[in-house]
Amino acid sequence: MSVAQIANGTVPAAARRVARRDPTFLVAVIAFGVISVVALAGPWLAPYDPNELYVGPLNGAPSLEHPFGTDDLGRDILSRVLVGAAASVFAPAVVVVLSTILGVGLALAAAWFGGWVSGGIARLVDVIFAIPGLVIAVLAVTIFGKGLAAPVIALAIAYIPIIARLTRTAAARELAKPYIAALRVQGVSSPAICFRHLVPAMIPIVAAQMAVGFGYAMLDLAAISFLGLGQQPPSPDWGSMIAAGQAGILAGAPEQSVFPAILVVITVLAVGIIGARVTDWAEEKER
Amino acid sequence: MTAPVLEVERLDIVAPGPEGPRRLVTDTTLSVARGEAVGLVGESGSGKTLTLRAVAGLLPDDFTTQGRIRIDGQDLGGMTATALRALRARRIGMVFQTPRAHLNPLRTIGDFMTEALVHVAGERPDVAATRARHLLDEVGITDPDRRMRQYPAELSGGLLQRVMIAATLAMDPDILLADEITTALDVTTQEEVMAVLADLRAHRDLSLLFVTHDLALAGTVCDRVNVMQRGRILETLRAGSMRRDAREEYTKVLMSASLDEAPPLEPATESPRPLVTIEHLRKSYQVRGATGRRETLVAVDDLSIEMASGGSLGIVGESGSGKSTTARMLLGLERPDRGTITVDGQDWSRPARGSADRRVRAKIAQMVFQDPYQSLDRRQTVRQCLAEAVRVHRPRQSAEVVDGRVRELMRQVRLDEGLAARRPRALSGGQRQRVAIARALAADPELLVLDEAVSALDVTTQVEILTLLDTIRRETGVALLMITHDLTVIRRLCDEVVVMRHGRIEERGTAAQILDAPTAEYTRMLLESIPREGWTPRRRLGRTRSQPTTTRSSAMIPE
Amino acid sequence: MNVLTRTVLGRLGGMLLTLILASMVIYSAVLLTGDPIAALAGGAKPTPELVEQIRAEYHLDDPVWSRYWQWLTGAIQGDFGRSFVYKTPVVSLVGPRFGITLQLVLLTVLLILVFGVGSGILAATRGRVVDRTIAAMTSLGMALPTFVVAILLIWVFAKSLGWFPVYGEGEGVWDRLWHLVLPAISLAVLFIAYVSRVTRGSLVAQLHSEHVDTARVRGIPRRRIFGVHVFRNASPQILAIAGTTIAGLFAASAIAEVAFGLGGIGSLLVQAAARADLPVVQIVSLLLVTIFVVLNAVADLISAIIDPSSVGGGRTS
Repeated sequence: MSVAQIANGTVPAAARRVARRDPTFLVAVIAFGVISVVALAGPWLAPYDPNELYVGPLNGAPSLEHPFGTDDLGRDILSRVLVGAAASVFAPAVVVVLSTILGVGLALAAAWFGGWVSGGIARLVDVIFAIPGLVIAVLAVTIFGKGLAAPVIALAIAYIPIIARLTRTAAARELAKPYIAALRVQGVSSPAICFRHLVPAMIPIVAAQMAVGFGYAMLDLAAISFLGLGQQPPSPDWGSMIAAGQAGILAGAPEQSVFPAILVVITVLAVGIIGARVTDWAEEKER
Repeated sequence: MTAPVLEVERLDIVAPGPEGPRRLVTDTTLSVARGEAVGLVGESGSGKTLTLRAVAGLLPDDFTTQGRIRIDGQDLGGMTATALRALRARRIGMVFQTPRAHLNPLRTIGDFMTEALVHVAGERPDVAATRARHLLDEVGITDPDRRMRQYPAELSGGLLQRVMIAATLAMDPDILLADEITTALDVTTQEEVMAVLADLRAHRDLSLLFVTHDLALAGTVCDRVNVMQRGRILETLRAGSMRRDAREEYTKVLMSASLDEAPPLEPATESPRPLVTIEHLRKSYQVRGATGRRETLVAVDDLSIEMASGGSLGIVGESGSGKSTTARMLLGLERPDRGTITVDGQDWSRPARGSADRRVRAKIAQMVFQDPYQSLDRRQTVRQCLAEAVRVHRPRQSAEVVDGRVRELMRQVRLDEGLAARRPRALSGGQRQRVAIARALAADPELLVLDEAVSALDVTTQVEILTLLDTIRRETGVALLMITHDLTVIRRLCDEVVVMRHGRIEERGTAAQILDAPTAEYTRMLLESIPREGWTPRRRLGRTRSQPTTTRSSAMIPE
Repeated sequence: MNVLTRTVLGRLGGMLLTLILASMVIYSAVLLTGDPIAALAGGAKPTPELVEQIRAEYHLDDPVWSRYWQWLTGAIQGDFGRSFVYKTPVVSLVGPRFGITLQLVLLTVLLILVFGVGSGILAATRGRVVDRTIAAMTSLGMALPTFVVAILLIWVFAKSLGWFPVYGEGEGVWDRLWHLVLPAISLAVLFIAYVSRVTRGSLVAQLHSEHVDTARVRGIPRRRIFGVHVFRNASPQILAIAGTTIAGLFAASAIAEVAFGLGGIGSLLVQAAARADLPVVQIVSLLLVTIFVVLNAVADLISAIIDPSSVGGGRTS
């Protein structure tokens, strides 16, 4: 369908309409697009090796050679921010994709089998919900060691309840609609009802939740890195850079903390705006 | 006293929209004299409710209006917000279509009844409570003390609507604005509410602006009737002589739709083969009562029905009679507790197991649901929807064959082929229901079950769909099982009728017998509560006192 | 009342079951590590004496269920085991630190309720301009995590202006409060934005509801409509969200504690995790989960009392 739209040239028209009606959304999409490109191409864009020490002065102020300044070990902050984008952007994406697969899978299993399977899944989801995400992540780090892998898996599990409950509620609401009964009466098979009607109906809601969840995952992972439990030095990552720069703030050199902090805020803000619009769109589809 | 209570002069209502402002009401002028009842009749989208809401001050903030609205000669346009609120509080009472949604679910009936008295008129709470009890009694609610302590969830729709009316009377309004107040109610409950209203008008000097889609109903309770279409008033008629005076074609269509004189159909020649045999069917549900206790609700009890192939049977009943549950069990959407269902010689007592069984049954029986918008997948175009239904029974057919069949189906339901690429949202109510009917016909079924298939539609659309169903029945010989609360619908389409109440059969017979010479008390009551020319609503529930409660007490006069 | 009592008992039972299952999940961390002795030893290469000590202390020769039971009953009675990093009973580590976390959370709750609910009410009732302004602020606020706010506050108020102390807990009531102001703000910002949005959303839904139309047309004073029909009906939803938020604060406070060098249970948890000090991590996790579940259940019950119609039905949607 989207290919056909591009062929018909309707997508540029739609983009123009969006730009006119909702410039905020356009700015958010462009910002997120740029950050995604940086996350992909960071190592090639970076002017210096992000981990090379003493390429400039210690805690150097922004200059022509080092637009974002240099950190307490004389590393180029711009290069570290660019290279660190990958971990900061892709790790939350993995969290969201994993938790969506698991959450939607559990919700569909509960809806499909019903009975004790549904009850068991509901209980499991309740238990996961009872343990705050940060606590699951800390437990995972304690067992599996520091680094991004354990927190990413832990958060993917921690986010299951949100997506599973949402999907379950939405699926139950959809299945209660008369058109599903109408399809049954027509003799349409259950798999066909599920995949041709139910799943497409869920897509907008799940997409909206994914966009919103991405923002949360980004904040949570950055927080875990900030606490020193995520990405380990010397590999750069926005959260750990903010933490490492804290000493610099008191020394009068806030650049190491401030630039990655600004990027975290911009990314989460952009994703938040996109998520809100996708949610509006999903609700629009509901009507 | 000769000044009209309400005057609306050249009212325009404009709503903002993505494609620029839309004018929803144009140049509407009407007036209601003291003690007069005026009807405002139209179908959905005619602007009747908007006009009423403009008077009540309930239009959305971004709507703009032009023209004048005067209450007791005072122009609302020049008033401050406070003065406006005081005027509306004391002069206007409004009653809505859905009483349940219009009462705060977290407050008791007593709170609701006394709120305006205490917080607007400044009455003492105990005085207000006493008056509230009198008012509840006046609208025929027994045991007012208990009702005052109850929450809205514990009362039926008819009772709630009477509570609404009683509460508006607390402030002794000059005019009552009634917005489709009986549309959500059963026909016998409608009669109760209308009788209450008629009593009140007789005892008090109460004016009424009565908004409804039902011209016959408006004709029986109003002195004058305005017919509205697409935001304009077409004509204003004296209710008593409106049948003779009506000049507009549209008005005549509305009349012929609601007041039906077509003779009942005679049963077709006796068919040798029974198509549907239902024996001793029972279905009960576990429900949570208003107090939170679990109760067993018997929806269908020991029901036996027989229907011949090619026949046309109507099952009539009010809400909660079990008529829809019966239809859903027949089609395997619900599982009966007991009893047998035999269709075309096969045992259908249990819902279909597996896709193959479901397809076999789909070939024989199909269903059309009440709300066509809800019963169509909103993501599918008309063509996709019909093609899917066709492919269930012809899985290996080429695209051309399926497409040809889709076009044939659209012709059969008189649906323009240009609509094939549209989604339900872009169709009118009647068009949607035609798509739903075409989809049901895709399987070439022997039985078409119509579950309130026209009751969500506008009156003129109802007539079109009923005519279409009649034509289809003659063309294809399909048997019709019509589930409805509306006896006039039965008259047009069915040769046999079953009347249900509380899950049981009250009476059965040919349409002529039931409609013209009913024997069961309940059937007679159903028939009598249909508004028609010369109809006076009667109150069937007792009332302890017949005096109206005090009119315009001293507390009502603003300082 | 009968129904309410039954609901209370039902929720209490569900809460206990959830807690027991969650404690099993937390305890099972020992098994997931593969070699519990290495895990319990905290990364250090265990000497034979240490191995023996661990075996005795954790009853490693007993079956899993029995070990879990001893751990759980011990924890309930205040025997939290012994940290292998600090070599002291866990209870002596947790006890004094809990007070700091509690004070920080209480101050944060105050900020969230005052500014979150307050700005939500303003957005819903004070016209389009106020609504737009608050919407823009909450959009930004939802993108301001604790650690970002923390470094900004340190930079501006502590370093540049010098108005507030940067690190530590302070002595005495007022000095303690003074030290907690910046951490509480940093912890509160994101949740203020969130609670503000939820408050606005549920208020607007009620403002547009049909029963409010009824009250309007009856001329009920605006103040009463808002208090009795709008705010009261919206409050169960606001409370549910605020309850979950507040319950989660005990865990989230770790970030503020680390950023401002406060010695609360959150920073204890993080330090213990960094050193793989499993006994401490488990007990603190169990404590945080218990607080989370209990506070959620309390918020749930208050909602049920305000809105009896939600009883038994649940509020999943």
